Amino acid sequence: MKIKDGFILREVAGSFIVVAVGEAVKNFNGIVNLNETGAFLWKILEKGAEREDLIKALLSEYEVDEKTAAADVSAFTDKLREAKLVL
Amino acid sequence: MFSVPRYKIADVVFDAQLIYGYTARLCEKYLYSGGDTPEFTAVMDKADVDAEKKAAGAENFPDYYLESLALFRKLCDYILTYRQGIIFHSSAVAVDGKAYLFTAPSGTGKSTHARLWREMLGDRAVMINDDKPIIRYIDGEFYVYGTPWNGKHRLDTNTRAKVAAICEIRQGKENEIRRITPKDMLLVVMNQTIRPKDTEKLDNLFFILDKLLSSVPLYRLKCDISTEAAKTSFRAMVENKI
Repeated sequence: MKIKDGFILREVAGSFIVVAVGEAVKNFNGIVNLNETGAFLWKILEKGAEREDLIKALLSEYEVDEKTAAADVSAFTDKLREAKLVL
Repeated sequence: MFSVPRYKIADVVFDAQLIYGYTARLCEKYLYSGGDTPEFTAVMDKADVDAEKKAAGAENFPDYYLESLALFRKLCDYILTYRQGIIFHSSAVAVDGKAYLFTAPSGTGKSTHARLWREMLGDRAVMINDDKPIIRYIDGEFYVYGTPWNGKHRLDTNTRAKVAAICEIRQGKENEIRRITPKDMLLVVMNQTIRPKDTEKLDNLFFILDKLLSSVPLYRLKCDISTEAAKTSFRAMVENKI
């Protein structure tokens, strides 16, 4: 799974936001608000990663158990797919 | 057939090659005859008008009006790229030389609220701009500038003032105001400015918004259209009493 070209993550005024740039603006004119965990996962997905990689990354970065991490990753990636932000 | 007047808007001197007299009349107050060299020339052509037509969607505006919007877009693009400034869709009122900005989606009542301030304060209130002022970040300070794109009541002054506070307006049954965080205000502001498609310009915008929201007091006002509404916001934003 990988973030599509044309989307950028930025931290502005304490918020993590994703917007489209260039040609991608034609299909996506909104603003996505991410929390800190979302931004963390997004940065990994910019390079491309599998579900297991994301869970591992969460476990090493945050104090969560595996079940919670897996659920968080699923919830996040489902939303990204729904918004058509990933390939 | 073209006219090429020279203007100074938001402390930027530029020439504009215009097709229609409407835009020239609109910008008349901002004509410049001083000695500063213009920073750029905005050449307006049919393609600019067509692009605005597309952006306006279903709205059927005359070409001369679309040209004026296209000029505004070019100016804002230049200022965002080279002069650390943004368009901020708001009604900006100066009181004792300091500017208070009311923002909201069109139709919410920012112009109405600014009018209530004028009625309450008389000459003490100066309308910087009732619709599309430009904010610039200069030497660590934020200034709001009047522009000719001044909304349906045609209210603007060719001047600038330091930004003292920004307030989001929402309609409400009771008048109440509170301080909000940069996080609360970010999306509000993002939706009331022009968002460029180009990453570099977008980062200029984000840089300015980051500084603006962290250095200026931010408020959210729920209000009706009574005098009491103006008193509520004035007490909080000017007299610092909530």
